[in-house]
Amino acid sequence: MDKTGKSTKRLTTARELNTVVLDYYLECARARHEGRPVGWMPPMNGAIEVFYAMDLQPVFPENWSPVCAAFGLAPDNFERSEKMGYSPDLCGYLRNIVGYVHGDMNGEGVPLGGLPEPDLLISFGGGCIPAMKIFQILEQRFPGAKVFSADLPQVAVEDIREHHVKYAVSEMERLIEFLTETTGHTMDYDRLKEVVEVSDRACELWDEIMSYRRYLPVPFSAAEIGIMFVMVTRQGTRTAVDFLTRMRDEVRERAEAGRGVIEDEKIRLFWDNIPLWYNMGLFNYFEKMGGVFVAETYSAAWSLRLDTRNPIEALARKSLMSYSLVSCLSIDRRREMVLKACRDYAIDGAVFHRNKSCVPITLGQADIQQALLSELGVPSVTIDACHMDARNFSLAQFQTRADAFMEMLLEKKRLKTDRTS
Amino acid sequence: MDLGAYLSRFSQAVRDKPNNLRKASECGERIIGYFCTYTPVEIIHACGFLPIRIWGGQVEVDRAYSLVPNFICPYMRFSMERALKGEFDFLTGIIQGYTCDVACGLMNIWKGHIGMQMYHSIALPYNDSAESREFFASALKETVIRLRDIGGTFSEQALHESLALYEQIRCRVLNLYEMRYAGALPFSAADLLTIVHAGFVMRPEEYSALLEGMENHLDTDTPPEPRGIPILISGSLLEDPALIEIIEGYGHRVVADDLCTGLRHFSPPSGSGTIPLDRLVDRYMNRFPCPSRVRAAQRVPLLMELIGRSGARGVVFAFQKFCTPHLADYPIVSQALRSRGIPSIVIEMEETGIMEGQLRTRLETFFSMLEA
Ligand code: SF4
Ligand code: SF4
Repeated sequence: MDKTGKSTKRLTTARELNTVVLDYYLECARARHEGRPVGWMPPMNGAIEVFYAMDLQPVFPENWSPVCAAFGLAPDNFERSEKMGYSPDLCGYLRNIVGYVHGDMNGEGVPLGGLPEPDLLISFGGGCIPAMKIFQILEQRFPGAKVFSADLPQVAVEDIREHHVKYAVSEMERLIEFLTETTGHTMDYDRLKEVVEVSDRACELWDEIMSYRRYLPVPFSAAEIGIMFVMVTRQGTRTAVDFLTRMRDEVRERAEAGRGVIEDEKIRLFWDNIPLWYNMGLFNYFEKMGGVFVAETYSAAWSLRLDTRNPIEALARKSLMSYSLVSCLSIDRRREMVLKACRDYAIDGAVFHRNKSCVPITLGQADIQQALLSELGVPSVTIDACHMDARNFSLAQFQTRADAFMEMLLEKKRLKTDRTS
Repeated sequence: MDLGAYLSRFSQAVRDKPNNLRKASECGERIIGYFCTYTPVEIIHACGFLPIRIWGGQVEVDRAYSLVPNFICPYMRFSMERALKGEFDFLTGIIQGYTCDVACGLMNIWKGHIGMQMYHSIALPYNDSAESREFFASALKETVIRLRDIGGTFSEQALHESLALYEQIRCRVLNLYEMRYAGALPFSAADLLTIVHAGFVMRPEEYSALLEGMENHLDTDTPPEPRGIPILISGSLLEDPALIEIIEGYGHRVVADDLCTGLRHFSPPSGSGTIPLDRLVDRYMNRFPCPSRVRAAQRVPLLMELIGRSGARGVVFAFQKFCTPHLADYPIVSQALRSRGIPSIVIEMEETGIMEGQLRTRLETFFSMLEA
C-alpha cells in the first residue's frame, strides 16, 4: 500500500465512468471552440440546471481538484499557490485551484486537456468560506469574465423559513436575467422544467442505487464512489440518467444474485467526510480483513428530490439545502442522517476522516461519533488526513489505526456470534 | 476621576468580566452571547437582553479537544474550553450572525453540550439590493420572535432607543479613533484596545456613560510627542494587547486598525432609514467590511484610505491561526498594498499565544526595513 493510489473497481459501469468523465471535459473544451459560453460555478446548487437549460457550459473548479489529486498534479499546484502567499492551512481545494489557474492551465501533461477559461463566473456568497473565496480569487485571475455575485443564505435545513426561500428564488431569477443579458441565450421555461425533471430522476435513481447497499453482501462499495461525478457535473442531463440507469441495473443484478464486493464480507463500514482523492485505494485497504465500505455521508447530498411542478423554487430549495446537509450548519440533521444510514445499512463500524482541509464537515464529527456509540453501539475510529494534500496524511498512522479498529470489530463480532450460537 | 482612573475602570471591566457578568445574571440580567460583531446587538438589547461578546483569551485546552479538532482558530478553541468549564454559565443563549464556518459550527457544538435556552444563527446577505435588505429585515424579525419565545419583549420604540444608545457609543469610540489619527490620543493603542474590549462585556448604558465621563479629560491632557513608525494592524480579533505593547515597546505607534475588536465593530455608527429596522439593516449593509463578507479587492481601497488618514507606513497582519477568511484574502491584499508602497508582515496567533522570541526578531526586521 502506498501513500497515494487508486481504488479497485468491480462494477463495469464504474469503469465506464472514465468515458463519461472524458466526454464531459471534451464537451467543456468544445464549448470554447464553438463559442458556447463557459461558466465556472460552485457545485451543488441549482445554477447547473439553469446552465444546461440555457445551453451554456457549466464548469466546476471544485470538481477539477479531485482530478488533479488523482493525476498527481496537486503537489505542483500547492507549491504555486503557497509561493503566492496562500497558507498551507487553507482548504486544499482552494490551494489547488489557485495554483492550477496560475499555471499553464492547458499545457502538456495536464489531464483531460485542462479547463477552458471562463466567460462567466458564478461567484459565490454563501456555502463555506473557502468555496466563496475561491471564486473571489478567480475573479482577479480572469478579469475578462462576467461576474455574477451570487448570494445564498447559510441556514440549517431545519431552520429554512419562507424568507430564505423567497430570497433564494429571487436570486435564481436574477441569475437567469444575468445570463440572458450577458450571453444572449434565453431561458425556455418548458426546457427548464424538463431539465429539472431529468435532474430529479437522477436523484431518484441515486436513491434506488443506494438502497441496494442494504443487501448483504453489499453489491458495491465506497471504492466506486467516483460515480457521483455525474451528480456533480451532469445533473439535469440525459447522460446522468442513462449512466445511473445502467449502474442501477448492474447493482440490482449483483444484489439479487448475492454477489458482493468481496467473497467473505465480515464487517460493514461507514465513511464520514470527503475521501482522500489522492488515495482512493484506502477504501480497499480494509478488504483483506473482510471489511467493506457500505455507505458514506457524502452521498446523502445527492438524494435531494426536486418538486418538478415548480422548477425555480425547487432549484432555490436545492441550493439552500445542499451545503447545509453536509456541513456544520446542521449538525443535528447530519447526526440523524448518519445514524439512519448506519441502521439502514447494518453498519458495524465507522471511519471518521478528520479532514484538515474541510472544517465545515469536520466540525460536529465528535458528536456524531458519540451518538453512534451511545445510541447504536457502533464504534468508530478517527483518521487524520486531508482530502487533497497527501502531506497531511500519515500512512503508518492510518494503517495502525485501521488494523487495530478492524481487529476490534472482528473480535466484537466473534463474541456476538458465540453468544447467539 | 482622572484619565488614569477611567482607563483602570475599563481594564477592570475586562479583567473582572466573568464575575461581573455572573453577578449581573444572578441579579436578574438576562445575557445573550455572540461571537462575531456582525451579530445585531441592537435587536438583542431592544428585546431586554444584555448582548456580550464571548471571549477566548488564553487557557489550557484540554476538554475541548474531545469535541473539536486542533485546526480551528485559537479564539474558538479557547471559548469552547471555557464554556465546558462552566465559565459562560451566566448566558441565556447565543445568537450568531453567520460570518464564518468555524463560528457557525462551534455554536452548534456548544448547543449539544452547554445547556442554554436558545441558540440562533442568522443568515446574513452578501449583496446589497432591495431583495437582500428585505430578506435581512425578515431574518431580524425572526430573531425577535426567537427572543420573545424566551421571554423577551420588543417594540419599535425600544429598538429606536437601542439604536440611539449604540450609535452614541460608536460615535464616542470613533472620536477616539479620530484623535488617534491626529496623533492626539493621550494614551496608547494598547489602552484603546482595552477600551474596545470593555465595551464587549459591559452594559452599554454604563459603557457609554464611562466613555462620556472620560471625554472631559481628553483635551486637557497633553498628548505625547508622535514618535516611531506609524503602523496599521489588520486581522480578525485581537484579544490580547501584548502584540500592540511589543510594537509600542519598540517606540513605534499603532495609529489605525482594521480589526473586529476595533474599527470594524464601530464604523459606521448608524444607518439611515425611516423606521428603526431599516436603519439597522442599512448600517449592517454599510459596515466597514470583514473578509468573511467581501472580496479582498473591495477592502484594498478602504485600507488605503485608512492608511492615508492615519499616516501608517506599514501593516501588521495579526491573524488567528487557521482563520480562513483572513488567510485567503492576505495574498491579494498584501500584494495590492506592496504595489502602493506599503509593506506588510503576518503574525499568526497560535495556541500558546504570541511566540515572543520569534515574533520580536521578525518585527525587528520589519521595522528596520521600514526605517531604511
Ligand atoms: S472541502 Fe469543505 S472547506 Fe473546502 S470548499 Fe468544500 S466544503 Fe468548503
Ligand atoms: S473569522 Fe477567523 S477568527 Fe473569527 S471565528 Fe472565524 S476563523 Fe475564527
